[in-house]
Amino acid sequence: MAQEISSNVDLDPPLARQATSDERLLSPGEWLIAGLVVAALFIFLPKLWPLLERFEPGPDYRLPYELGNDYWLYNRYCRWACSHYKALVVGDSVVWGHYVSKDSTLSHYFNELVGQEQFANLGVDGIHPIALEGLLRYYARDISGKTVLLHFNPLWISSLKHDLQTDKEFHFNHPRLVPQFLPQIPCYKASYSERISAIVQRYVAFLGWTAHLKQAYFDSRDLPGWTLEHPYANPLKAITLELPAADGFEQKRAIWDEKGAVKIDFQWVELETSLQWRSLRRSVELLKARSNTVFVLVGPFNEHMIGDESVETYQKIQAQVEHWLQQNNVAYYMPQALPSRLYIDASHPSSEGYAMLAKQILEIHSFNAKFTRRRGGDG
Amino acid sequence: MLFHTWPFALFFTVLYAIYLAVKNTKLRLPLLLAASYFFYACFNPLYPILILYSSLVDYAVVTAMERWGRSRIWLLISIVNNLGLLSFFKYGTFITDNANVLLSWLGIPYIVQQPGILLPVGLSFYTFQSMTYTIEYYRGNLALSEAEGIEREKNFLTYATFVSFFPRLVAGPIERAKNLLPQLHRTPQIAPRDIADGLSLFVVGLFKKIALADYLALYVDKVYAAPEQFQSPALILATFLFCWQVYFDFSGYTDMARGLARLMGVRLILNFNNPYLATGLGDFWRRWHISLSSWFKDYVYIPLGGNRKGRFNTYRNMFLTMVISGLWHGAAWTFVLWGVVHALGRCLTRELETTSFYQQKVPRIIKQLLVFVFVTFAWIFFRAESTADAWLIVTRIFIGGAGNPYCPLLALGLIFVIWLYQFIYESRAKWILQLKPVRAAIVIFMIIYMAVFAGPSVKPFIYQQF
Repeated sequence: MAQEISSNVDLDPPLARQATSDERLLSPGEWLIAGLVVAALFIFLPKLWPLLERFEPGPDYRLPYELGNDYWLYNRYCRWACSHYKALVVGDSVVWGHYVSKDSTLSHYFNELVGQEQFANLGVDGIHPIALEGLLRYYARDISGKTVLLHFNPLWISSLKHDLQTDKEFHFNHPRLVPQFLPQIPCYKASYSERISAIVQRYVAFLGWTAHLKQAYFDSRDLPGWTLEHPYANPLKAITLELPAADGFEQKRAIWDEKGAVKIDFQWVELETSLQWRSLRRSVELLKARSNTVFVLVGPFNEHMIGDESVETYQKIQAQVEHWLQQNNVAYYMPQALPSRLYIDASHPSSEGYAMLAKQILEIHSFNAKFTRRRGGDG
Repeated sequence: MLFHTWPFALFFTVLYAIYLAVKNTKLRLPLLLAASYFFYACFNPLYPILILYSSLVDYAVVTAMERWGRSRIWLLISIVNNLGLLSFFKYGTFITDNANVLLSWLGIPYIVQQPGILLPVGLSFYTFQSMTYTIEYYRGNLALSEAEGIEREKNFLTYATFVSFFPRLVAGPIERAKNLLPQLHRTPQIAPRDIADGLSLFVVGLFKKIALADYLALYVDKVYAAPEQFQSPALILATFLFCWQVYFDFSGYTDMARGLARLMGVRLILNFNNPYLATGLGDFWRRWHISLSSWFKDYVYIPLGGNRKGRFNTYRNMFLTMVISGLWHGAAWTFVLWGVVHALGRCLTRELETTSFYQQKVPRIIKQLLVFVFVTFAWIFFRAESTADAWLIVTRIFIGGAGNPYCPLLALGLIFVIWLYQFIYESRAKWILQLKPVRAAIVIFMIIYMAVFAGPSVKPFIYQQF
């Protein structure tokens, strides 16, 4: 900084025009060409990628547990499922089969009972109705003109926290799928940058594809974070083009009361004010607007686990749900609770529970012919 | 609201559309000022009050000088006001901490309360920029338009925009009134070339920040957070990586700032020029944070006497300037030490650099390597959490074992590629980099790399805290 040190520093305009190697100066025409190349890569890379990456879902396929946040893959699977299956079973971990293997899920038993592959498991582990609405809206546009069994798990309205209504921030599942600005979700406190990024990713397939690469090949981390864990590994070799198996989740099979769980007095949220219920309603409307035949399965919640003081409220909520479904001409089924021994927790049946549930639904609604158009209430 | 975040992208897209529509009207400056204040308020809604205050005082001081003569008292008011703001907000905690240590050492049972105020983003930059205006006017050097005989900025709106111009508000470059004010006066001519160059600068800066600086930070932060847990190779590599991190971070910011300004038809001064290819420490400071180096030269070193009063005074002035520059960077002894290390290095090598042996016999690459090693060593003091940590790192580098550093090879590879690129750029093989397909390929690579591989960067800029 001494005089002679800085004597060459010239602050006249020529310095401002001086270019260093830090500047990659493209002419306007060159920018145009570079822009077109980048745009082409943005458009075609995600489209061409399926040609390289093997994806053979097969019977009873469900999105691998590790890729539960890979919405680009969900979109790809959805497209595949729509072209291969007559009916789609959509919902949270109850549909996905959180505590059971892929050949013990609801969709599996449907297929087993009808004797052919008709039902695809489009469940996503941990997805709540608010996120599910986002998933259907932005990543499942291919579900059109199909028959859809949409599951509603009452667990999501069992407390203000489950309903995402607490003012205190907490990290819930699938935040990138929920409405980023409106309607406001009180417990969602992400920065504006994260919110805008989530919105952009919904519309730019390329960004969804890059998220897929991170999820599928870099342990759900971005490349910098991954290289910190694998400092000497070649990142290109990590892209094996082999997706994780669909059954990578460690299963726990103990029955709920054997695990020491006790009855709980759930703090049910009023249906009129529930964000989750509102989203489920919108999901139904969205699916119907896309010319789908929608069938809503409510529960079966583990009523053996509900404390005496909250049973009444639960029944009231059930009645309100039923009323809305009837009013809106939506086919539905609201089964009785399964036997206590068939629940792993408040909402997840065991393998045997799924088998029983599938049988009940098929018996009542003639699924083996065509996904029923009868009113659920008559069951 | 940082340049590399989505909210800024949204902010700038909307602003730019309006700017293009009104750039030939009287609304241009009010728009720029409002945008700059809004941008600043996004960090903290109270910040605009501070910048408005700073602008008002310096504007009033120069107005007073014009009316009542260039008295030293007016200049003093400006300097005391600006340095007072800096001292209060930036050095308050540092001063009270050290005062308490001194009081305790003297056995005086009194504790000075800490001010507990956070340093407003960009304060060091805009106070220095604002001071250039008052000092230059006092010296009679402002001459914004010699042809029109304009000696000072009459319009407060223009002056406030000069101080707060948002592309350079957070971390410079520290503009001179002579360069920026006339540009704000003129109706900007935005040619396609300006847009192309602005985009180039912005993309390069963005790449430096999110693909390089924030990546290197992952390893650097891990090692520097607990240096006692790492052995010599890890500490050396973390220091080496920090050396590049700070360069990519700061020059990346500057590139983006210059790019944004260029898109709006404003040319900001050059702030970095391949500093790690410097062949001497003097050369290094001609290439690193040029706007600050020249500020210290003009407003500290020369007023101290520069090199006009003999060898001893020259070295003394040089030393003082470097130490003050160190302190400018942060209110901690580590920054002072960093300044001292550079001052010592500069004093020790100044004579050497002028010898014909050094100039003609020592190969260029060796000179570059020596400077690089020295500068890298000095960064230890800049980056360490405390002086104790700095000494620990220096000690462990020499006697700290030789365990596996687990440093990502990709990070080292990227640094090598950048160094090679800059090296070629300053060599006779520069023509390779000027081939159109090569340039286009580099830009495409940067964009795709950022989109595919870079992490979701929301890390603030390092120099933003100064």
